[in-house]
Amino acid sequence: MTRTASPVPVLLSFPQASARQDAWGRLARLTSGGAELSTAARLLKDEGVVLSFDLGVERFDGVRARVSHAQDDDDGFRVVELRFVDQVQRRRLARALTDVLARG
Amino acid sequence: MAAIGLLAAETGDREDLGLLLGELGHRAEAAGALGQLLEAARERRPRAFVVVDGGGADAEVLTRELTRAFPLLPVVAALKTRDARRAVALMRAGAAEVVAPPWTREDLKACVSKSLRSPGTVLSPLRLAPRRRSPLWYALAVGSFFAAALGTASLGRRVRLQAAAAARVDHWTLAVSHPAGLAFDGADLWVVDWFTQSFYRQSRQDARVLEVHHLTSETPVAAAFAADSLWTVAADGTIARRMRDAKLTALQRYPKAAPNSAGLAFDGLYLWTLDQSRRTLTKRLLDENLTTVSSRRLPGLKPVAIVWDGKALWTLDAGDRVLRRHDLEKPELALEVVPLPEYGDGLYAPTGLAWDGERFWTVAERRDGKGPGRLYRHAAEGAR
Repeated sequence: MTRTASPVPVLLSFPQASARQDAWGRLARLTSGGAELSTAARLLKDEGVVLSFDLGVERFDGVRARVSHAQDDDDGFRVVELRFVDQVQRRRLARALTDVLARG
Repeated sequence: MAAIGLLAAETGDREDLGLLLGELGHRAEAAGALGQLLEAARERRPRAFVVVDGGGADAEVLTRELTRAFPLLPVVAALKTRDARRAVALMRAGAAEVVAPPWTREDLKACVSKSLRSPGTVLSPLRLAPRRRSPLWYALAVGSFFAAALGTASLGRRVRLQAAAAARVDHWTLAVSHPAGLAFDGADLWVVDWFTQSFYRQSRQDARVLEVHHLTSETPVAAAFAADSLWTVAADGTIARRMRDAKLTALQRYPKAAPNSAGLAFDGLYLWTLDQSRRTLTKRLLDENLTTVSSRRLPGLKPVAIVWDGKALWTLDAGDRVLRRHDLEKPELALEVVPLPEYGDGLYAPTGLAWDGERFWTVAERRDGKGPGRLYRHAAEGAR
């Protein structure tokens, strides 16, 4: 486990059916199974969201996730727990994380 | 109050953001160009920068310059047009946060506050346990705890109630109407019924009849168990020692040895008989004549049954409805009297007595003779 110098920025997009504008946020925590996201967007529990972000030299687009928990923090931001729903994406993410951590 | 460096090419943006920052308690050091802002920042040492993207200014370039010049100060980019990809690009360029239009006090406060204490991202290849749990989870956990506690408490209460139910006096209706005696064989109760000339072995748990032994030529009135045999006394006073087989085969008979007997007890050495007419208790040797050792008159109104509880001899008195414990040497002395409130209504007359090692049991017949008899289990606290 390690910590980056600054939180990883992430682009948030939503299924067309939800008719929501794209939003952005930062990843406070990232694992192969899910992430903790800090965002000004009002995400709700069980809502589907698609993430795009860079991890090291690798680009992740369209990582599908579901909100497992959401609450407001002291700053008024939304702290959101996400679970990645696609097993293939999770495995790819696990490899990338292992690679990033191995490089230190 | 913290100084915030504000960079906006357009005057209107500087005024709007300056007012908002002022409302938040910050002092805005506004500038229209990067050079002007850098110069002011070196003098007034702001804690953060707010940079407007648009209106002729490229916040991505400005952010890079500011983070290069002041690497420890966060930069908040304020978009004039909402564009998520642009926001992500600005964050990649070094912006700590990005404020979307329209700029509001709440959004600006959240972004400035967040940017002032922004940590990095924790990376882990493993899936970590969730740090936060929902209120529902806590509610369920608390609910489960209380449910378990309640379950344990109610289980304990059930056990206590069962114990209390077992402790209270109970009675069961017999299958016969004329019980005359009662005995305990170590496991079950034996009801002696003179009218049907039978012995009924019955369960102590529910008074269920387990076995019936019919004597064709005798009218039994009392019985007592010895080690391997059953002693009985008939209405004509004949005492018999019997095998505990299906027919209760008589091994020895003592014709008319104890006339008017209503009770029989064996204390391990002597056989005791109760003469209801003369109200006497007779101690006998187990020889070939059942020789009388002593015979004493009993206290009370109407003793109808006797029992040996392993330590003392007890009689059941149907007249004043009590149990009496007697001195073995002087049976005319009652050492203890235990009332039997179960017979307080006067509907039943006790006729037989037994001791199962823990409690007394009695059988009774209706005084009016209209109905079956009853088996009583007496309270433990009244037993000794």
